[in-house]
Amino acid sequence: MRSRSRQKQANRFIREQLAKEQRHRRNMIISIVAVVGVVAAGLIGFTVYQAQKPPSYATPAHATADTTGIVVSAGKVPVDLYVDYLCPNCKNFEDSASSALDQLVKDGKIRLVYRPIAILDQNTNPSGYSTRAGSAAGCAADGGKFLEYTKALYAQQPAEGGAGLTDDQLVQIGAGVGLINPSFAQCVRAGRYASWMAHNTDAAAAHNVNGTPTVLVAGKQVTASPDAIKTAVTAAS
Amino acid sequence: MAQEARLRFVVLAPWLGTLARLVLAGVFFAAGASKVTDLAGSGRAVNAYQLMPFEMAKIVGAALPFMELTLALFLLAGLATRAVAALGAALLLGYIGGIASVWARGLSIDCGCFGTGGALPAGVHPSYLGDLLRDVALLLVAVFLAWRPRTRLGLDAVLLGEPPQASRNRSKEM
Repeated sequence: MRSRSRQKQANRFIREQLAKEQRHRRNMIISIVAVVGVVAAGLIGFTVYQAQKPPSYATPAHATADTTGIVVSAGKVPVDLYVDYLCPNCKNFEDSASSALDQLVKDGKIRLVYRPIAILDQNTNPSGYSTRAGSAAGCAADGGKFLEYTKALYAQQPAEGGAGLTDDQLVQIGAGVGLINPSFAQCVRAGRYASWMAHNTDAAAAHNVNGTPTVLVAGKQVTASPDAIKTAVTAAS
Repeated sequence: MAQEARLRFVVLAPWLGTLARLVLAGVFFAAGASKVTDLAGSGRAVNAYQLMPFEMAKIVGAALPFMELTLALFLLAGLATRAVAALGAALLLGYIGGIASVWARGLSIDCGCFGTGGALPAGVHPSYLGDLLRDVALLLVAVFLAWRPRTRLGLDAVLLGEPPQASRNRSKEM
């Protein structure tokens, strides 16, 4: 009697041990699957990103040699402006600095280059106004009116969080500065330079430009203010 | 008395674990979902930390949202809770280190934790302290979960048996 109950107890012990081992093994397998799954998800993310990148892009007229900027004026000291057409501070900068910049351009002192980028695409609904506006500015460069169009776009800058300007509005603003050729409207509506904008944005990040407006005078970043720019230009002349 | 408190903890821990899972799942889901629609932007947000070359930042930026979403799914399902909580803790440690390093170097960026990211406009102050406190709190939650991964209402319980509370009680009776 006693030995039988002891036997029973031993059997139960063995069964429990086996069940425990099986649980451990199962647990191990599940854990490995989970870790592999999370890492695989990361790889999928990178693959998706690679697939999203536009394979090629068209470059507007008057672009810099590296294709990512529009040359507004010839001059000695390079002044590079990284701007996003949706960025409120870029509008403020344009409002406060444009007369000083115009003067420097008129005096032939600076080689002014605008580098439109799209870092605020997610700040409109639907997303993508920064890219559409930048692409339209590329179309304006083709029509020889980049700076006029840029100023007009900032004068009518839409609020963040809204829908941004429609393509029709982008075309109308162009007409307001003399871009009446139908090819401009076509270019805007086709988003011809959207891929160019994606390329510009990538290139800017590669140069560690992580915000707008970013102003470089002779390749060095300066505060985005007319005084800082004038001082730096004088120093570099 | 101490034993009673211990017993209460044994009963409560699996439910606390469930809560921890749901909290982490919610945060990782929100973080992943906010970035997954703009992978290029996510790469730029990582780049703004200036911790690695841009080419590397692009890879990390594209991978992170998907990893966060996957972690959220596992946590919600309660599957492989310990491994997933440990991975989540590792991610959070990385974020904490990244933000602390940016703060220490005096950079002025948005952490990009829930989308956006990049340099902050002039006059806007970064919120590093708040970001760090949030991530440290989440890290504690993840560590708790890795320590006590057997939770209620999860697939682990289905595949591996209920939390060991019942068997522990029985062994006490014996």
